Amino acid sequence: MPGFDFSNYNRNAALHARGMPLPKATSTGTTIVGCIFDGGVVIAADTRATSGPIVADKNCEKLHYISPNIWCAGAGTAADTEFTTAIVSSQLELHALSTGRKPRVVTCMTLLKQHLFRYQGYVGAYLVVAGVDPTGTHLFTVHAHGSTDKLPYVTMGSGSLAAMSVFETQWKPQLTRDEAVKLCADAIEAGIWNDLGSGSNVDVAVITAEKTTLMRNYLRPNERTQKLGRYVFEKGTTAVLNEKIIRKEDLSKFVTVHDLPTETGDDKMEIDV
Amino acid sequence: MSSPFSINGGACVAMVGKDCVAIACDLRLGLQALTVSNNFPKIFQYGDHVFLGLTGLATDVTTVSDLFRYKVNMYRLREERHIAPRTFANLVSSSLYERRFGPWFVSPVVAGLEPKTGKPFICGFDSIGCIDFAKDFIVSGTATDQLFGMCESLWEPNLGPDELFETISQALLNAVDRDALSGWGAHVYIIEKDKVTKRLLKGRQD
Amino acid sequence: MPSRCVRVAAACWSSNNADERPTCWKLKHNTRKLAIVPTNLLHNNNNRRTQLPTQPQPKCMEVLLGITGKDFTLIAASKAAMRGPTILKATDDKTRQLNDHTLLAFSGEPGDTVQFAEYIQANSQLYSMRNETELSPSALAHFVRGELASSLRSRNPYSVNLLLGGVDPITNKPSLYWLDYLASLAKVPYAAHGYAQYYCLSLLDKHHHPNITLDEGMKLLRLCSDELKRRLPIDFKGLVVKAVTKDGIETKPFDEDEKVVKDT
Repeated sequence: MPGFDFSNYNRNAALHARGMPLPKATSTGTTIVGCIFDGGVVIAADTRATSGPIVADKNCEKLHYISPNIWCAGAGTAADTEFTTAIVSSQLELHALSTGRKPRVVTCMTLLKQHLFRYQGYVGAYLVVAGVDPTGTHLFTVHAHGSTDKLPYVTMGSGSLAAMSVFETQWKPQLTRDEAVKLCADAIEAGIWNDLGSGSNVDVAVITAEKTTLMRNYLRPNERTQKLGRYVFEKGTTAVLNEKIIRKEDLSKFVTVHDLPTETGDDKMEIDV
Repeated sequence: MSSPFSINGGACVAMVGKDCVAIACDLRLGLQALTVSNNFPKIFQYGDHVFLGLTGLATDVTTVSDLFRYKVNMYRLREERHIAPRTFANLVSSSLYERRFGPWFVSPVVAGLEPKTGKPFICGFDSIGCIDFAKDFIVSGTATDQLFGMCESLWEPNLGPDELFETISQALLNAVDRDALSGWGAHVYIIEKDKVTKRLLKGRQD
Repeated sequence: MPSRCVRVAAACWSSNNADERPTCWKLKHNTRKLAIVPTNLLHNNNNRRTQLPTQPQPKCMEVLLGITGKDFTLIAASKAAMRGPTILKATDDKTRQLNDHTLLAFSGEPGDTVQFAEYIQANSQLYSMRNETELSPSALAHFVRGELASSLRSRNPYSVNLLLGGVDPITNKPSLYWLDYLASLAKVPYAAHGYAQYYCLSLLDKHHHPNITLDEGMKLLRLCSDELKRRLPIDFKGLVVKAVTKDGIETKPFDEDEKVVKDT
């Protein structure tokens, strides 16, 4: 298991003690949801990434690949969701290769919670894990401190309350695939409109025993309108003090590529072909 | 003491154009309100078409730029080829996340052209390595807020190299004029398939 | 199958104007006379503080100034060694000579300063002995930065601000490097540390240009010194001034008893 490098920790702790605030990480102030239906599971997410009050990314991807039949939606510290899912994905791939079996959702969930518990909540990943494996359809939530839930419908992130209100009023047992997709998309939209940390578009992934369908930007309710004015400056607007152009041809001064004659003697180096 | 990201000041921006990309930075190095140097470039080159902009704490800007020079040189020796911008972005990301609990105080920006297709590539990072892939522009530094406003209004798709130069220059110049900690001249790189143009801009010295 | 050989010049074409040097180094001999020197860096006896430095007030009162000109670099440092409100010594020299044409001036946490400067001095001299060539000011500046940057991330970082001035032995170009205790490095035409920055940089902004002669440089230092005497709330006991030229490092006489109008 690769570890973290703490060599800057002492310096930064000392700087912090002198009154320096900690850096702002990109956080996915987010709405993510998941819902089981007959024959599979749906997860969905909005696409806004924020850094403080600034929208850092208007169309980011919060649905992470774990294995062909397991996907994860992430909220919390963006880098943590990105890397914990990537680490677990790689571990699961190796596990599947060595056992010759399809990875299971519980295995994924256990790896995630063990990793997150080890870091006592400091790795700020809040995840919805969903998938279909030989034991059936599964839907979990994993919190940054390592706790997990297993429920038929789940929401997480800053927009979880708005999204949950949709589930609590509209969810019913034995949903069809299309009903589940609509319900999840509606729940995300509730987050997009009512939670400031969430916004832009809706991404949806549907996982069934046969296949996974990722619907990137399933809904785009916030399309940017055409700009009325064109603000392209005339050539020569900006004052330039110095200009240096480097062309490909000039690079030959620095790079030389030439074939070496093949030697026929016995002292030729052996090369694997 | 204020945030480590705003001790030395500085700004950086990258933009996508039609078959070209641009990356630009200011030149100020300060100590809070005092300007120490007006010739501190924040853009570094790691291959024919791979550029990295670094803003934040000046000491970490230098350390991290040196670190990536080392890592990219090692990559070149191992692989016997230049690093692609996307590969480099992932190298930056994992190198930053390695220090999740003791980060470098930098906000990197990568800009370049993909070697095979020649397609523009830009992305930005937070200090712990979360990648922000953007199709339009990436900003970083103490003038982030101002740059977001400028770019959001000035940028449009499919700008040619000359138009892109004017757009990115005006976006940067006008953004840093509204930030006390950035400015004092600027460097702009326009990266095209067969040539790279580096320009030194005239900027306010106040 | 023919094997391919690809050669790439490391310099590439991205270099910023600074630090461009000819690639040929004048190596005098091939044989190495000194074989007894250790193979790694000289080490510090690091039995110093175990706590992080708190920033002491007097540190900012120490004066470091540096000016480059046509063919020289001038370094000036205050002569007062202070501890709290007391001046312990009025003839302190806050500089160390790294080699024939490079000078390091330092201020900051007492103890750290001399320890660090002499550690750098020892290692640059070791390098000169081993390789029979001297490191350029640019190379030394980056070496110092590297050492300071790794110290910064250790349990007991050095709290030292530095100016490194020199004249390149090959190109004869003067240069000046500004480093603070965070290991921020900047190549500058003129520089200062501590409160002197606030008083002198504005003066230098106005009067400095890259082609000044040594005499003009000394006049500029006089201007700075007068301003400091007029404005600084404590007596820093005058400046020790050293000039680096291609012929070496020389201490310049700097008039002490010249009257400064204290009344503005």
